[in-house]
Amino acid sequence: MINRAGTRVALALACAGALTLAGCGGGSGGGGGDAAAGWQPDGDVTMVVPFAAGGGSDRAGRALASAIEAAAPDVSVTVENREGGSGAVGYSYFLARNGDAETLLATETALLALPASGNVEFTFEDFTPIMKIAEDFTLLVVPAAAPYQTCSDVVEAARGQRVVAGISGQTGLDNIVFSLTENHTGVQFDRVAFESGSELIAALLGGQIDIASLNPGEVVGQLESGDLRAVCAFSEKRYEQAALQNIPTATEQGIPVSFAQFRGVLAPGGISEEQQAFWIATMQKVIETPEYRSYVDEGYLQPITAAGPEFVDYLNSNRTLLEEALTS
Amino acid sequence: MLDNLLLGFETALTLENVMWCFVGVLMGTVIGVLPGLGSTTGVAILLPLTLSLEPVTALIMLAGIYYGCQYGGTITSVLISTPGEASTVVTTLDGYQMARRGRAGAALAISAIGSFVAAIVSLALLMALAPPFADFALRFGPPEMLAVMVLGLATIVSFSGEDRVLGATMAVLGLVIAMVGVDTGSGVARYTFGSVDLLSGIPFVEVMIGLFAVGEVLHQIREGAAAPIRARFRELLISRDDLRRSVGPILRGSGLGFLFGCLPGAGSTLASFMAYGVEKRVSKHAEEFGSGAIEGVAAPESANNAAANANFVPTLTLGVPGGATTAVLLGAFTIYGIQPGPLLFDQQPELVWGLLASFFIGNLILLVLNLPLAPVFAQLLRVPYGYLYPLILFTSVLGAYAISNNMFSVWVVLVFGLIGYAMKRLGLPTAPLVLGLVLGPLFEKALVQTSSIGDGNLLIVFTRPLSLVVLVIAALLLFGPALVTRVRSARSRPPSTLVG
Repeated sequence: MINRAGTRVALALACAGALTLAGCGGGSGGGGGDAAAGWQPDGDVTMVVPFAAGGGSDRAGRALASAIEAAAPDVSVTVENREGGSGAVGYSYFLARNGDAETLLATETALLALPASGNVEFTFEDFTPIMKIAEDFTLLVVPAAAPYQTCSDVVEAARGQRVVAGISGQTGLDNIVFSLTENHTGVQFDRVAFESGSELIAALLGGQIDIASLNPGEVVGQLESGDLRAVCAFSEKRYEQAALQNIPTATEQGIPVSFAQFRGVLAPGGISEEQQAFWIATMQKVIETPEYRSYVDEGYLQPITAAGPEFVDYLNSNRTLLEEALTS
Repeated sequence: MLDNLLLGFETALTLENVMWCFVGVLMGTVIGVLPGLGSTTGVAILLPLTLSLEPVTALIMLAGIYYGCQYGGTITSVLISTPGEASTVVTTLDGYQMARRGRAGAALAISAIGSFVAAIVSLALLMALAPPFADFALRFGPPEMLAVMVLGLATIVSFSGEDRVLGATMAVLGLVIAMVGVDTGSGVARYTFGSVDLLSGIPFVEVMIGLFAVGEVLHQIREGAAAPIRARFRELLISRDDLRRSVGPILRGSGLGFLFGCLPGAGSTLASFMAYGVEKRVSKHAEEFGSGAIEGVAAPESANNAAANANFVPTLTLGVPGGATTAVLLGAFTIYGIQPGPLLFDQQPELVWGLLASFFIGNLILLVLNLPLAPVFAQLLRVPYGYLYPLILFTSVLGAYAISNNMFSVWVVLVFGLIGYAMKRLGLPTAPLVLGLVLGPLFEKALVQTSSIGDGNLLIVFTRPLSLVVLVIAALLLFGPALVTRVRSARSRPPSTLVG
């Protein structure tokens, strides 16, 4: 039994190895379709994920890796998790990859939040933004037994009594959304800092906190079961997914607050224009793949994309908003 | 219930699933043995390889890695005093001493038996009572967790040997080390001196590899060539007396493990420390603890395995991970396109019950693998230490690098290796330091959160009934024995000698 199982695993590994080799062989010979692009990655591409396996960034990194492989058959992408320091370790490693166009990074809001916290040496200008692939907004979630039906109810309640909001960190998306809401309405929420979305869900279920602002992908299971209720979405427009389309936006309820965590792809700084052009062209194809579609659908994201210079513009305006929220 | 169980076994007993379960527990054992590679890293590394499998098959394998690790981690804790996981740190206290006295075989056997019994007990509880236990766990908000952390720190008295002040000092040192890094409450970096590597704190696993594995190797080298341990075959086997002494510890350990495992956070490590502390209190052989008491192996090993299973209570019923490894497993659910959450039992009965049934099969495989192999592993100690320690150093450094692909980890291992050596030379206890290190971040988080929830008032820990109960238990643990001896000595001695 031991031997047989071992042989099968070994066989499977050998097959995988052979396939990879075959893929590489094809890569060096082919490339006719991409004649316009002057530069091609040579060999394996590494996708750095600055967070641990199993989390949201990891999911994005792995989905991107397979979508890039689908869009550019000559390229094979390996995912590498370099977690620690809320992303600081991974981004710092990436900073040292300057000029290496065969390393990418699955980026998100930590790219702006880390420099804003003042604990790291880099800003996004040290890297080459390739493409923003999606935006992940948050929902304001309350326990099923709570009296609130809309976000306005929550704000009204906060005028007269203490409303305890759980947040997942000072520079987290949820804290920013709460700060923006406070700036708009003049109310104050009391904060309790947790460390992850799942801790917030447990605290909501146990009645330890009154409200939390969570990514739909984190909380959709508890929403479907009816244990928690989403009272509004801090997004520009409503979600298209069936499970979420009945949730009104905060703007509809008179609170014009919308702030998304973005997800995207970053290349290291110091790469050539040709290399940048290759990755932008590849990512344009990526967002047409079924792999990308199912990632967006199953992760409850909104497919709002921005390539190259547009991504840079987005990062600039997003940084202003973030700093405004953090200093207020 | 019975239908579900049948459905579960129907799913778990297909040839493919049994095979992958076997692969999972075998890999788990190996991963548990390797220093540095704990279950969380192991599951995370192997997760991408399972993407081509059916979801239920993949989860059966990944879960097998998780509880397989609990068995594997014990082997190195006992043989070479190198815990593979935080939850097997306590096992080194008596397990390693047993091994030095030629009883490694019995220590490994009792931990396999204890782990198996704990698995069956906790699975039965999990299947029958998961929802009420999950509801109970939800009532543990920050104030209650703060009380639990106080309780955990109170167990230090069981690990300090003669000198309690020394034990408490080491625990405080552990808390101080745990303070390095970004504070989640305010986002401020503490004691990092501008180092990016230190932002996420001093990594725990690396500290353990250094303190235990490297520290012990340096100590042995200094002592001069340790004689290889030659035990007669009869001593390698577990005796009737060993079994008799272990029944209570295994059952109490299973119960404690299950309770603590339901609570999100430090579940299995805290459970193993608590189980050890309780046994030391109730045992008739309390003086043997620390020098090779079999209860000191049986209880924590049962507790950590029960806690590993209990971690699935919040994971499966609420969609909230019970610990780091189950958090990775929840991530895996999403990758396979399954939405975890309270509806999982209703929407995916085949998956959930198949997974749970596979735990029975996996634990049985582990028992069958580990029990006969225990005396064989124990033979490893016949190898002269001169050959053994380069191997231990090599795997320690390699393991440290493998965790993060970063030289920083290796430096942490080497620095804490020197610290571990110094602590051994000076006779400082290591276990309180580890406990402080494990509980530090959780303690701080609970403290800050309690203060926020109470609007700056920490006294709410006394007004919430559950936290008050836990605090009273902690107070009894700390002061109870001293009071009892005082009262006894006051009764037995004339009042005049009571002064001082």
